[in-house]
Amino acid sequence: MFLHNFKYSFLTLFRNKMLIFWTFAFPIILATFFMMAFSNIEKKEQLDIIDIAIVENEEFTNNKILNEAFKVLGDKNSKEQLFNIKYTKLEDAKKLLTDGEISGYLLVKKESTEVIVSTSGVNQTILKQVTDEIIQNQKIMEKIVENETVNGIYNIDYNKIYENAIKTINEAEVRLENVSNKNLSYTMIEFYSLIAMACLYGGILGLSSINEVQANMSNNGKRVQVSPVSKSKIILGSTLASYIAQLIGLAILFIYTVFVLKIDYGSNLLLIILLSLVGSLAGLSIGILVGSGFKTNENAKTGIILSYTMFCCFLSGMMGITMKYIIDKNIPIINKLNPASMIVDGFYSLYYYDTLDRYFFNVISLVIFACILILISIYSLRRQKYDSI
Amino acid sequence: MTVFNTFLKILNKNKFIIIMYTVILITFAGFNMKTSDNRLSFVSSKPDVLVINNDENIGLTKDLIEYINKNTNIIDIEDKKDNINDALFYREVNYIIYIPKNYRKDFLNGLNPKLKIKTTGDYQASLAEIILSRYIKLANIYLNINNNEDEIIKNINETLKSKTNISVTSKLDTNNLSKATYYYNFANYSILAGCVYVICLILSSFREEKIRKRTVISSTNMRKYNRCLMLSNSLLAIFLWLFYVLLSFIIVGNIMFSIHGLLYIINSFIFTICALSLAFLIGNIITNKNAINGIVNVVSLGSSFLCGAFVPIEYIPNSVLLIAHIFPSYWYIQNNEIIKTLEVVNIDTLKVIFINISVIIGFMMLFTIISNIISKRKTKTK
Repeated sequence: MFLHNFKYSFLTLFRNKMLIFWTFAFPIILATFFMMAFSNIEKKEQLDIIDIAIVENEEFTNNKILNEAFKVLGDKNSKEQLFNIKYTKLEDAKKLLTDGEISGYLLVKKESTEVIVSTSGVNQTILKQVTDEIIQNQKIMEKIVENETVNGIYNIDYNKIYENAIKTINEAEVRLENVSNKNLSYTMIEFYSLIAMACLYGGILGLSSINEVQANMSNNGKRVQVSPVSKSKIILGSTLASYIAQLIGLAILFIYTVFVLKIDYGSNLLLIILLSLVGSLAGLSIGILVGSGFKTNENAKTGIILSYTMFCCFLSGMMGITMKYIIDKNIPIINKLNPASMIVDGFYSLYYYDTLDRYFFNVISLVIFACILILISIYSLRRQKYDSI
Repeated sequence: MTVFNTFLKILNKNKFIIIMYTVILITFAGFNMKTSDNRLSFVSSKPDVLVINNDENIGLTKDLIEYINKNTNIIDIEDKKDNINDALFYREVNYIIYIPKNYRKDFLNGLNPKLKIKTTGDYQASLAEIILSRYIKLANIYLNINNNEDEIIKNINETLKSKTNISVTSKLDTNNLSKATYYYNFANYSILAGCVYVICLILSSFREEKIRKRTVISSTNMRKYNRCLMLSNSLLAIFLWLFYVLLSFIIVGNIMFSIHGLLYIINSFIFTICALSLAFLIGNIITNKNAINGIVNVVSLGSSFLCGAFVPIEYIPNSVLLIAHIFPSYWYIQNNEIIKTLEVVNIDTLKVIFINISVIIGFMMLFTIISNIISKRKTKTK
């Protein structure tokens, strides 16, 4: 009987087109949209070579230091290239700026050096910082020369002093050691929250299989309930069917995101599977609880699950990853109770951290969450009697 | 009037959906808009930096921290568990500088000690690195000349004082214009999802088999009935549009009273009408209410993601933008982006905007024609 019920619950679920659309197809469609929209964000956020212009006037040509410095910074063959420089006349530079083709241009005057930009921004700030640096180096040269002269060397060999000064400036080495974690791609959170959504949407499957066997929810349920089969067998069969259906959907989503979209879930396959199993169980338990605990019609129940899932995903960063961080930082208790956040945080800790304690904390939280919900459902399902329906 | 009354009744039942999408619009528009003054002078970008100092806070170390403080936004994060790593991942800080113990002493002794850093690798972090390197370079240079600490600090600060003059040419209020653009770009989703969904639901209620049969058999003039349905739906769309425009005055502020603001409003109006025709098309093709939910979600999310309503358009890969051309949203959002950078408003500069608007109108006509053909066929076959 168990197998019989299991088989037919399974078939009923797969015949329901709307159900399959929301739990199977919708996450895949959304993942594709995410990929299309987000794939370039992080690349574009890296420092690109900045387009600038320099007004080629007499003052600039005569200023050796500026000349040399920008030649190095604009060298296309160098790894250190920071700018893409166009040497132009003043009118052309102005036109390039209004057309938005350059971030700004440099105008060297007799008494000062000017940077002209169209708006404030990071590229413009970098242009200014670098020009400042070059101007300051010029000042340092003067100071070094002054220092040498004060030291009382009377046979001043300006060339040598200059060479020494340039050497001092170039030899000043900045020693920085980068110790950041390698996996810093924050758009991953979007995909993790998508997996969380798929897990929780699985609740709809659980809900519909519970509805099929409840006498007050469907005609089918009335027939099932009067049949001489133990209730636990029936319910176990249907929920197991929906759990497996849910896992199939999740597996398809994983295969799609890993092989087509190239999402990085970290390298530990077993732990990823464990987290998805537990996450789906949490989704299933929500479905069973809503199916058994709430006394409304099926549409309202589906609505409850959909909006609850969307709200949880919103808090866990699906509509903007800063949301999760803000909640984690200011009201951590909310995300400790939010199953979507537990799933996202579990994947995040697998991806970003080397240690596993945070991951297991999330897995255990999910198990506890699912157990509590299932216990409540069992309590409300057992010994149900209907005087009239 | 009967039609209109029924329309209002169904609308009332579905008001929750419209409220939901409006709340989403307000939340996201408000969330992403930090208030800022309108500045026409140059403002340096300041990356978010965290300094963790394990050295004594005196002398050179103190001066370094003060310098970082002046040129970046110092973010203070409690050094607890994963806090700092989380902050870096979620981009609360772009750059973390760890100053080791005895840094100052080692530096003055000429050892040039290493600084450990953590970086997000984006351009903000690059800027932070430029700023940090600047100071260390200067300190190294002056250490070579004279290794008296006070003298070094004095020299560094003196050198840092000499700066280039910078001037800004644009007279546009870029800050507020970006806000308006963000708002109207996001409204693309609210209009498509909210307006189209509700109109489709209303249409499908009217087209339900039994109700349709009853209407056809009644003495009501079919033309009048259709016109009334069309008018009430248009009224709903226009009302929603007006509501979103009013909302933009509150959220975005003064810039909406300028010629730029007017352009945003005109552009969004044309788009709303186009969305209306799309709603009629979807409502005509599909009558199953559950299926409408799926289709509207896919269409609205799809065109919002691909056309740059959620993510700034410059971040979207070119290949995706090429596909995006088939959505009216693309032309609508392009217009918003053009309005943002419009320096002078004259026939020449407005030409591009007019072209985009005519494309949206083209879409509108296409949707209307297709939905007419489909609805004619449906009535004939039944």
